[in-house]
Amino acid sequence: MSRAFTDNTNSFNVSNSYNNITTVIADDEPKILAWLSPLEPQVRHQDICEQRVDNVGNWLLETEEFRSWYNGGESGGSDHVALFCYGEPGVGKSHIWYTSLLGRNKEHDC
Amino acid sequence: MAVACFYYDFASREAQSPTNMLGSLLKQLLCGLGEIPGEIVKRFQGQKKAIGGRRLQLPDIVNMCTAVTSLQPTFICLDALDECAPKHRLEVLGSLVQILQGSPNTRIFMTGRSHIREAVERELGGRTTNVSIERREEDVITYLRTRMMKDTTPQAMDSFLENEIMKRIPEDISETCVPT
Repeated sequence: MSRAFTDNTNSFNVSNSYNNITTVIADDEPKILAWLSPLEPQVRHQDICEQRVDNVGNWLLETEEFRSWYNGGESGGSDHVALFCYGEPGVGKSHIWYTSLLGRNKEHDC
Repeated sequence: MAVACFYYDFASREAQSPTNMLGSLLKQLLCGLGEIPGEIVKRFQGQKKAIGGRRLQLPDIVNMCTAVTSLQPTFICLDALDECAPKHRLEVLGSLVQILQGSPNTRIFMTGRSHIREAVERELGGRTTNVSIERREEDVITYLRTRMMKDTTPQAMDSFLENEIMKRIPEDISETCVPT
């Protein structure tokens, strides 16, 4: 076992050993990914992408809470690194995160 | 910028363990990187020596997620956190705290019903902010207009029917709206 995994997480900063990318034998890559987790959330993700409608939920982007979270952290002066969107079933929570993040970053479109 | 997302589902709550969920996020981040870091390849090759292989434990996955999210600004999205088994939810929130501590450019986006709000706030301390999501008339109207523009049988629509749809559906939805 590599010591890096058993030591404290401070060893995993930007200059950590993860920057050393090993070229994986093509056959091994799917096996490694399957070993990390058997779960495949892509089907649900695809549904969300297909069902969503442009501009629905855009109001969230204008809220102070969203802005403080999106621009926050060390550089933005806010410590709100997590945003929790709560509401009753059927109000559109599952679609609104797509508007918030992927809608702003078209390269991540489905 | 990297984005990884996970959708909780009551029907799959046993399979959606913290280790499997974080492993799923890690897979997405690695696919985004395009290559697998050497440390993870080494761990994979090492575990093959055990009979039947060896699954990763939660601390291993948390460390790997922290390392990989440190490589670039990363957004982690967890949908329907209320559908996660309660015993798993606390572990998940604790794991997120660890990832955030080691990876300052990571942001977490979570959705869920209001009854788990206290647990989220408690576990994440003062690092979380909340937004109430409610049905909005403007969203309903935008949605209806878009759907009507994509109508595959527009000949069946006339201005009376269109006006009725645009008036009645937003009204009906506001009447059934449950305060949050």
